[in-house]
Amino acid sequence: MLKITAYSSRISYRPGDEVDVKVSAVGMKSFSAALKRIVQGDINPDGPGYREDAVPCDIGGPFTAREQKILTGSYGRVQTSAGFAVAGSVTVAALIWPTLPGVARQAIVSVGSESGLRLGLDEKGRATFEAVSGGRRVGHATTTAACRMKAWYAIIGTFRPETSELEIEQVPLQRFRGIEDSGCAKATISESIDVDWSEILFAAERGSDGAPASFYNGKIEAPFICSGQPGPDDVTDHLKGAKKLEAVIADWDFSHDIAHDTFADCGPHSLCGKLFNLPHRAVSGFAWDGSTYRWDERPEHYGAVHFHDDDLYDAMWENDFTFRLPEGLKSGVYAVHLTSDDEASEYYVVFGVKAAKNAKKSPVVFVMPTASYIAYANHRLGLDVSETEIGAGQLLQIDKHHSFLQENPQYGLSLYEVHSDGSGVFYSSRLRPVVDIQPKVQGFIGGLGSNIWQFNADTHILGFFEDRGLDYDVLTDEDLEADGVEALADYQVLVTGSHPEYTSTRMLDAYRDYSERGGRIMYLGGNGFYWRITYNSKLPGVIECRRSESGIRGWEPGTGNYYHQFTGELGGLWRRIGRAPQQVFGVGMTAQGFDLSSPYVKTDHAKDPRAAFIFEGVAGDVIGDFGLNGGAAAGNEIDRADFALGTPPNALIVASSRVHTDIYLMTPEDLLDPTPTWSGTQSDLIRSDMTFFETSTGGAVFSTGSIAWAASMAWNKYDNEVARITENVVRRFSNPAKF
Amino acid sequence: MSRYSLQEEDKQYIDEFMKKPIGYHSPGLQRVLNVMRGGDVNGKYVLVILEPYRRWALGRLPARRGEPISLVEGVEYTCQLQAERDVFIRRWRDLTGEDISDALNREGSANA
Repeated sequence: MLKITAYSSRISYRPGDEVDVKVSAVGMKSFSAALKRIVQGDINPDGPGYREDAVPCDIGGPFTAREQKILTGSYGRVQTSAGFAVAGSVTVAALIWPTLPGVARQAIVSVGSESGLRLGLDEKGRATFEAVSGGRRVGHATTTAACRMKAWYAIIGTFRPETSELEIEQVPLQRFRGIEDSGCAKATISESIDVDWSEILFAAERGSDGAPASFYNGKIEAPFICSGQPGPDDVTDHLKGAKKLEAVIADWDFSHDIAHDTFADCGPHSLCGKLFNLPHRAVSGFAWDGSTYRWDERPEHYGAVHFHDDDLYDAMWENDFTFRLPEGLKSGVYAVHLTSDDEASEYYVVFGVKAAKNAKKSPVVFVMPTASYIAYANHRLGLDVSETEIGAGQLLQIDKHHSFLQENPQYGLSLYEVHSDGSGVFYSSRLRPVVDIQPKVQGFIGGLGSNIWQFNADTHILGFFEDRGLDYDVLTDEDLEADGVEALADYQVLVTGSHPEYTSTRMLDAYRDYSERGGRIMYLGGNGFYWRITYNSKLPGVIECRRSESGIRGWEPGTGNYYHQFTGELGGLWRRIGRAPQQVFGVGMTAQGFDLSSPYVKTDHAKDPRAAFIFEGVAGDVIGDFGLNGGAAAGNEIDRADFALGTPPNALIVASSRVHTDIYLMTPEDLLDPTPTWSGTQSDLIRSDMTFFETSTGGAVFSTGSIAWAASMAWNKYDNEVARITENVVRRFSNPAKF
Repeated sequence: MSRYSLQEEDKQYIDEFMKKPIGYHSPGLQRVLNVMRGGDVNGKYVLVILEPYRRWALGRLPARRGEPISLVEGVEYTCQLQAERDVFIRRWRDLTGEDISDALNREGSANA
């Protein structure tokens, strides 16, 4: 179990930058910190050997240990100006679409903390309106019928202080014969209350410790407050926008500023608010009728916010220390290594350090696929999804970080999970400890052998550079997002990670433009550039993914919810968006399986003189029948060349894997007509294609189309033909002579 | 919901599995494994790493996030393939009530 967890507010630095570190350490009085250069993170005794290099740097410490907590659950908050209050009778109402009615008490609109009014659902899923005084409930009106799941209701609470009466109305927007899900109730409170109007929360209320609690799961739309007690039909019409009431105090519209985390009040007091922990926005509201799929075309159809009790954007931990990176630090992958007297307790806060602004660039730049690291951040595929073992073809192994995640779900979800109400997770953030972006950790689906995944698997590539004495710099996906192709200026060769699956438009443009300018790309991975993600211009450290219509996906976003909140762009596969990875990289995702990998076999194209440099010193036809990931070089997730999808017509497919186990199955986007032939021993589309082509500007692209490639490079301490081929390509690509 | 359940004739695949728990399998064995390796998360067998790449305990997943993974008392492995064989026997017993542990003695140890 992990006793130390930590994170920094950034994942990309330059030499001389300040690094802030936020730590939670339990079961110890103090901890120490040291700067390390990460060289090779695989601890498999059959591998090349773990290596991290100490870096002289005065970080300070030891530091006092303390626990920092994480509170999940999204909510909205409005803070009123001083002295704001409402006198007389008041009505609080909202449209709701609950997704987990009846599992727990859930707050919809909460006015005040110690003393106030709370509109919500009780533990049986019935609409309730409560009065609270001094933190105690002094009265409630609750209907007798539970709300149905995923159905729209108007819920309307009225408080009449002059008579100490509460009233609740629960109005289904669609009625079914024989289904009793409407209701109303009245109650009298036991003592008078002085409503605190300083704060209004949506989807949560203040708990006894002052923190938000009683999180709601489901959509809320058009919450509002008015004076008096209009009839329920008038209130419902107002909520639906059909007819507006006049005595409005606040009238919130979640269809404003959908791309960010604030929302507007159209009422007379401008009680605008902010959303916390990134509930789903740009989701269909009650008015959505299929006439548009784009929320920016008709935002009034997207006025709902979908809250979850397990949403997390920013853990908001306090800094434990800040230190400055050495000015002369060489670009690379680094980590703050946190340790204590307990040798089993350690944690690595991993980040990239790019070259100093005026430094001479190395010929090679390794792009850390940090978007993909974040997409998989704290992922629970082996814990939540039983079928993961079928895909792995072997028993799943539980590392100590997996056990920690299982017992600490508050560390948040990845883009592979569903929320507690079953809806897909649209957002993943690094503003929290991400325990699987560390060396030494194992994965769930890293293939037989080292069984490592994403960041740790990529250290096989770093280890190769170091083994061969190849000079390299490091950039992150966030640098490509921020600077576009200019981030790649002056680099001769761009090397990818083993699984750069998630790509933003700006990142993909940067790859394309770099290639078109004569750059050389080595795509040493599989299933790259598969899903579109978006960053948010105002919310750092978080990515969004909407898995629309097709692709290998554990959830789908719901019809109508296909366009990203952050940018308004269509979500889904790049292939569906018209930019299949074959266009830039020559190959694209074709199949996956996580048991055994397969070797490549040279094709006739390997004899083409254009490809001679690739195989210099490699005599045999079979390539990579060894490795630390499934025992061969083509495996896990594999890509094929496909001229129909955009592989350039001059591309050479110099080697291909020929057969895979029947764990390997086709991607759904290829599987138009299901027949029982789409498995690894039967379909010739299930293969890795080692592909090379020159660009019209003198550049070139070399792609392996396999996650397992890097793990074969690391076999026999990097002394093998897979590493040899990679080195041949790096050295030729580093040569400025045009192709 | 129709899901394949193990049949008497599936016993022909036991020896095939014991010889090679991970890798290429006949379609019949693959179907058996798909049944065994799927199913409910609650109580699902997993290997809990005691010493990376060298020693594992047998664990079972809980039903819900936040609950701990439990260990099957006294069951440890120093060979991943032997763990596969042992869990195969356990799952066969869970699914059919039949004890096939003699298969391990017949094929398993010699091929570890």
